[in-house]
Amino acid sequence: MELRQSNPPTATKGRPVAPAEEKTRRSEKSKDHWSSLLERVGQSQDRDAFRDLFKHFGPQIKYYAISNGLAHQADELVQEVMISIWRRASLYDWRKAAASTWIFTIARNQRIDMLRKIQRGSAEMPLETEDLWQIPGDNEKDPVPSLHRIIAERRIRESFEHLPEEQVTVLAKVYLEHKSHQAVSEEMGIPLGTVKSRVRLALSKLKVILQDQDL
Amino acid sequence: MSMHHPDEMLLMEYSAGTLSEPMALCIRMHLEKCSHCRGQLDMLNSLGAIMMDHDAGKTRNELADDLFDNIMQQVEKTAPEPPETAAGAVQEPIDPLRKLLGKDLHSLPWKRQLGDVSVCDLTDYFGSEERVTLQKLCAGGRAPAHSHNGQEATLVLTGAFADGNGVFEKGDFVLLDEHHDHQPVALHGEDCITLSVMTAPVRLTGRFTRLLNPFIR
Repeated sequence: MELRQSNPPTATKGRPVAPAEEKTRRSEKSKDHWSSLLERVGQSQDRDAFRDLFKHFGPQIKYYAISNGLAHQADELVQEVMISIWRRASLYDWRKAAASTWIFTIARNQRIDMLRKIQRGSAEMPLETEDLWQIPGDNEKDPVPSLHRIIAERRIRESFEHLPEEQVTVLAKVYLEHKSHQAVSEEMGIPLGTVKSRVRLALSKLKVILQDQDL
Repeated sequence: MSMHHPDEMLLMEYSAGTLSEPMALCIRMHLEKCSHCRGQLDMLNSLGAIMMDHDAGKTRNELADDLFDNIMQQVEKTAPEPPETAAGAVQEPIDPLRKLLGKDLHSLPWKRQLGDVSVCDLTDYFGSEERVTLQKLCAGGRAPAHSHNGQEATLVLTGAFADGNGVFEKGDFVLLDEHHDHQPVALHGEDCITLSVMTAPVRLTGRFTRLLNPFIR
C-alpha cells in the first residue's frame, strides 16, 4: 500500500487532472538546487557541482560530527561522507529523496560506523552499519509519491521555523547528540513523559506523524 | 503491511541513529515488511537533514583549506560505482538476520526451554547490554505465562501468535513492559519465531513456573 495524503497536493488544486508527462515536468521544476547538483555529480562526475556541495554540506557535516562528540574526527567524517557522496552519486534519484536528506543518511551511517569502530576496537562486526540502517525498498520505482514527498518535505521545512524553542532543543539532542529520549530526560532533568510529549507535539506540527486514517 | 508498528519515538531514534544495534535490527526487520513506517522514516530523515542544517551556520565550522583537495585526491584513486552493479545490489536488499546467522532459521541450534518454547541466544553477536534471542513457539504451542521486568521488543519473523493484547503476524513489532502479563499462543498451525530484545530478564508469573525463575537466564 502506498501512502496517500488526505488532501490533494496544492500544486494540482483547482486544475484539471494532468497527464503523467505534465506531472513529471512539473515535479521536475520542484527539484531543489542541491538535488540538481548531486545529479550532475552522478551523471557526469561534475567537479564544480561537487565543490559546491562540499561548500554547502561540508560545514554541516563538521557541525554534526562535533555535536556528536567527534570533534577530533570531524574532518575525517567530512572526508568520508564526501567520498561516499562522490562514489554513490550515480545511485541518487531526486524523486526518492532530497539531496539534503540523502546526504543526512550517509552522514548518519558514517557517524554510526565510526562510533562502532571506536567502541568495538578490532572486534569483528558480523553486521555492517549499512545492513542495519539501510532502508529496504529504496529501489521502489514509483514516481507518483515524489510530488507528495517534495510537498511534505517543504512543509516540514516551513513549519520547522515556527516550532517553539523547547521542542527544537529536544529534537536537536536526539538528532545531533544521538541521545535517546531517556537520556534527554535525564540530562535536562525533565520527566520522560514531558520529553515525549514535546517530540510528539513537534512531529504533529511538522505533520511528520501521519493521521490515523492513513494507517 | 503490518498492523503493529514501532511508535514514532522509536522510529525517530532509529532515524537519528541512536538505537542500539539489536533494536536497530528489530526496526530494520519491521521496515522490510512495512511501507507505512518506511514513509514515516523518510519524513523523519528529512527532519534529520533540517536538524543538521539548523544552527550549523551559527557556529564556526570552517573546513581546513586543503580538505577538498584531499578528498579529490582520494576519489581520483577509485572510480565511482557504476550504476548497473550498484543498482543490482540495491535490488536485492539483504536480510540482515540471515546474514548474521549464515543459515536458515529452522536449522539453528535451538535449545528447548519450557514446554513449547525453544530459544537461540544471539546476545554474543552484539556488543550490547541487551539480551537478544530468537524464540520459537512450536505450532499450536502455548508459552508459559510471564511478564517483563524491563522492556522487551518483539518482532515476528515467521508464523503468528496471539495473546491478550492482540494477534501478531509476520513483520509485526510489539513492545512489552512490566504491565504486560501474557501467555502467547502460536497460530495458523505453524511455528512462530520471534526476534526478541530484552533490557531485563523475563519474569515467570504462572504458579508453578514461578519456581523456575532462577534457572532462566
